[in-house]
Amino acid sequence: MALTLAQLTIDGLLLGGIYALSALGFNMIFGVMRVVNLSHGQFVVLAALLAAWAYSTYHVSPLVTLPVAVAIAFVLGALVHRFLLRRLPADTSSQEAVSLTLTFGLSYFLAGAGLAIFGGTFRAVPYLTGAFSVGPFSIGQARLLAFVAAAVLTALLAVFLRVTPIGRAIRATSQHLEGAMTCGIDVDAVRTFSFALGSAIAAAAGCLLSLVYTLNPEEGGIFTLNAFAVVAIGGLGSYAGALVGAAILGLATSYTAYFTNAQLSEAAPYVIFVLVLLVLPAGLLGRRTA
Amino acid sequence: MNRIALVAAVAVVAVLAAAGPFLSGYALAVVYQTLVYLALAYGWNIISGYAGYFSFGQITFFGIGAYVTALSVTNAHLDWRLGALLGGLVSMALALPIGAIMLRLRGPFFSLGMLGLAQTVRVLISSSEAMGGGTGIYLPVSVNPLVVYEWTLGVAAFAFAVTVAIDRSAFGLRLRALREDQQVAGTLGVDVTGAKIRAFLISALIPGLLGGGYAMYLTLVEPVSAFSTRLELQSIVMTVFGGIGTVWGPLVGGIVMSQISEALWARFPQAYLMIFGGLLVLFLIVLPRGVVPAIADRLKKRGGPRSFTPQAAPAARETVA
Repeated sequence: MALTLAQLTIDGLLLGGIYALSALGFNMIFGVMRVVNLSHGQFVVLAALLAAWAYSTYHVSPLVTLPVAVAIAFVLGALVHRFLLRRLPADTSSQEAVSLTLTFGLSYFLAGAGLAIFGGTFRAVPYLTGAFSVGPFSIGQARLLAFVAAAVLTALLAVFLRVTPIGRAIRATSQHLEGAMTCGIDVDAVRTFSFALGSAIAAAAGCLLSLVYTLNPEEGGIFTLNAFAVVAIGGLGSYAGALVGAAILGLATSYTAYFTNAQLSEAAPYVIFVLVLLVLPAGLLGRRTA
Repeated sequence: MNRIALVAAVAVVAVLAAAGPFLSGYALAVVYQTLVYLALAYGWNIISGYAGYFSFGQITFFGIGAYVTALSVTNAHLDWRLGALLGGLVSMALALPIGAIMLRLRGPFFSLGMLGLAQTVRVLISSSEAMGGGTGIYLPVSVNPLVVYEWTLGVAAFAFAVTVAIDRSAFGLRLRALREDQQVAGTLGVDVTGAKIRAFLISALIPGLLGGGYAMYLTLVEPVSAFSTRLELQSIVMTVFGGIGTVWGPLVGGIVMSQISEALWARFPQAYLMIFGGLLVLFLIVLPRGVVPAIADRLKKRGGPRSFTPQAAPAARETVA
C-alpha cells in the first residue's frame, strides 16, 4: 500500500510539472490583462491533437511538433488579441464579463474547429511506452520526458521574465498598470505579446500532455479549469505559488484516478478549487479589488 | 408604447396556447425548441444581465430538473408535471447553498466556478449507478408532446412575466445598482447579498422547471443532453445578441437565433459549435449591447431630445494592486 502511494505520488508530481507549465501561460494572461482566458484549455488540447496527428501520420515525435505548435499558437494568440479582445468597448463596468464571454465563445469556436479538423475520436501518442525501474518504482519514459521538458521550459520562461526587457515589461504591466505606462512601456503591445506568449505556452503544455493523455477536441474545458485551479490555489500572479498548486493538483488527479475512476478524477481540480474558495475566499478576491 | 407591447405579448402567448393542437408534428417541435431556448435565455438574463454575474453554468439546474423528474416518474410514479415542478423547486433549493458560496466570488471567479459546477455535476452523475450512469434513464413514452409543449409555454411565459416584473420593480433597480458598482450599492443601503441570491434562485428555478419537460420530450435523461453545453452556449448567444439585461433582448435574440440554430443543426451538425462560438465573439464586438438597445436608441433619437442613457459610462477603473 505504501509502495502504491509512493508510486502514485511520483506519477502525480510528474503530471504536476506539465500542469505548472500550462498554468504559467494562463497566469501571465490574467496578470497582464485581467482577462481569464476560457479558451486556454482549447489551445492545450488542439496542440495535443496536432502532436498526436503528426505522430500517427508521419511518426514525428511530439517534441519536434512542439516548436511548430508553439509558433502557430503564438500567431493565433496575437491575432485574437489584436482583432478581438482589443476591440471590446473599454468604458463599461461589465468589461471584465464581456472579455470573459468573448473567450468563452472563442473556446467553442476552437473546439468546433478541432472537431472539423481532427474529428471527434480520442487520440494519443504511443511514443516511449516503456518505463525505467528505479528500485521498486517504475517511471514511465513518456511521463518523465514530458516532465523534464516542462521543467526546462518553465525555467526558461522564468529567466525570460526576469532578464529580458520584454519580460520586465510584462512583469511591470501586471504589477502596476499606471506605473508601467508612466515608465513609457507600450502597454498595448505588451498585452498582445502576453496573450500570444500565454497561448504559445498552452500549446507547449498540450504537446507534452499528448504523451500522457488520450484526448479529443471537446476536452478543453478540463484544462481551463485545471489551469484556473492551479492559479487559484497558488495565488494569482504568484509564479512560485503556481508550482505548489500544480503539484497539489497533479497529486490529486493521480490519487483520485487510482482510488475512484478516471471520470471522477476529472472532478478533482474543481473540488480543490471549491475547497480553496471556502477556506480562502478573501485571499482569492484580494488582488483584483482596488 | 410599452403597454401595447405587453398586451401583444399576452396575446402571443394565448395564440400559441390555442394553436398547439393544430400544429403539425414538425411545427410543434420547432416552436417547442424555440420556447425552451427563450425560457433558458430569460433565466440566464436575470442573474447575468440584471445582476451582472455572468454564469456559464446555469444549465446545471436544467439537468437537475431533468433528473429529478426522471427519478420521480420512474421510482415514485408521480405525474411528470408534478415531477417537473419538483425539479424546479429542488433546483431552487440547491441554488441557495450553491449561490451562497459562488456569489461570494466576483467576476471571472464566479463565471468559472459555475462552469466547473456544470461539468462536475455531469461527471458525478455519469459515474453514479443510481442515476443511470453514462447511459441515463429511459422514460415512459406515453406522454403527449402537446402537453410538454403547453408546460414549456407556461414556463416561458412565467420567465417573461418575472422579467417584466423585475425590470419595473425596486428589486430590479437594486440588481442594476449592484451590477454597476457593488460597493456603492451596499453603501446606499442595498442588501447586496440578499438581492444577488434572490436573483440566482430565480435563474435556477426557470431552467429547473424546463428540464423535466425536456426529459419527457426526449423520453430519456442522460448526462450529455441534460447538462448540454450546446444549450448553455446558445442561451448566452441569444441574450447577448438581443441585449443583456433587457426585457425584450432574450425574446428577439431567442427567436432569431433559434431559427438560425435549427437550420444549422440540421445541415451542419459538425460546424455548429464553431459557428455559434464565432457568432458570440462577433456579436460582442459588433453589437456589444445587443440589438434591442441599439434599436431603442435609434427610435429615441428620432423621437426627440431624450438623452437619458442607462449605461452612463463610469470612469474607467483600473486595478491597483
